[in-house]
Amino acid sequence: MRRFISIVIVFGLIMFFINTLSLLPKYGSVNISKVSEAYIDKNVNGNGGNVKYNESESLENGAANVVTSIVVDYRSFDTLGEVTVLFTAALGVSLVLNGIRRKKYGRRPNFILRVSVGILLPLIILFGTYIFIHGHLTPGGGFPGGTIIAAGILLLYLSNEEFDLSKTPKFVEGISGSLYIVTGLVGLAIAGVFLINFLPTGIVGDLFSAGIVPIVYILIGFKVGAELSGIVADLHREG
Amino acid sequence: MITIGYILIGIGAFFYFLGGLGIFRMPDVYNRLQAGTKATTLGSFSVILGVGLVNLEFLPKALIIIAFIALTNPVGSSVLARAAYLKGIKPTDKTKVDEYKGGGNK
Repeated sequence: MRRFISIVIVFGLIMFFINTLSLLPKYGSVNISKVSEAYIDKNVNGNGGNVKYNESESLENGAANVVTSIVVDYRSFDTLGEVTVLFTAALGVSLVLNGIRRKKYGRRPNFILRVSVGILLPLIILFGTYIFIHGHLTPGGGFPGGTIIAAGILLLYLSNEEFDLSKTPKFVEGISGSLYIVTGLVGLAIAGVFLINFLPTGIVGDLFSAGIVPIVYILIGFKVGAELSGIVADLHREG
Repeated sequence: MITIGYILIGIGAFFYFLGGLGIFRMPDVYNRLQAGTKATTLGSFSVILGVGLVNLEFLPKALIIIAFIALTNPVGSSVLARAAYLKGIKPTDKTKVDEYKGGGNK
């Protein structure tokens, strides 16, 4: 009976997918609006000059990645709130786990793990840094980049019994969080709006483009990486 | 070149299928880990290399991805198997040799 029901469910799902996929318009025959046409015409290679959409010189302030220009440009204040939420979570973890003595496992970590972490850790840190530096050009950004760096820190914890971050995450986190707010205040002083994009936006697709978006994303990357590394350190201490 | 690429993608899909079947059919943790890791490593290699051959622009990226999978995938499964062993999970009764305990018959 169960087998019969599961076959019916799978068959229904297949029919559903076939029906829905056949309803989708064919490739290239979609009636797209003006804004999406402007996005399709965007040149990511950097040699196409400035993006032109009606009057505006640089569409969405020059970020090739649309998500980034919405998250860090239009809704930067919201992102500041998100970072604060993450900070509160890290604070909660460290409050709950405060005062727990670090447990020793009494045996050395795996030899294979130790050797491969020596090879992989620089690459992982490099990859995370790349992700958040290129947040305005490619998919990714501050949050995924910081998470990748925190995963590297977790590898370091797993492969090395003596390793301890101590105060470094809290320091980095405080510095980068304050710099984010300072960036917003500079925008307030120059253009009159908190967290406005006050730098020149440049050519779409260049590394130095999109105004304050890469700066803010680098700060967010450091902050998120430090917060998650702090959470990893707290949880690892708990054992 | 494109034909070779598609053949490689087909081989990779077949190995993915074998990996899924192995996870489903094998008797204990260690055999399942072995089936999953070996099959998905070889499957990923052929699928990614096939994509690189079909579209030659992707070939350098594909080779780098293959290098990373070769670095990470076996290490991860080895660490998982070691953790399972040290936790005390028994292998299946058909196991004849336990080399981690010092070799010899079980």
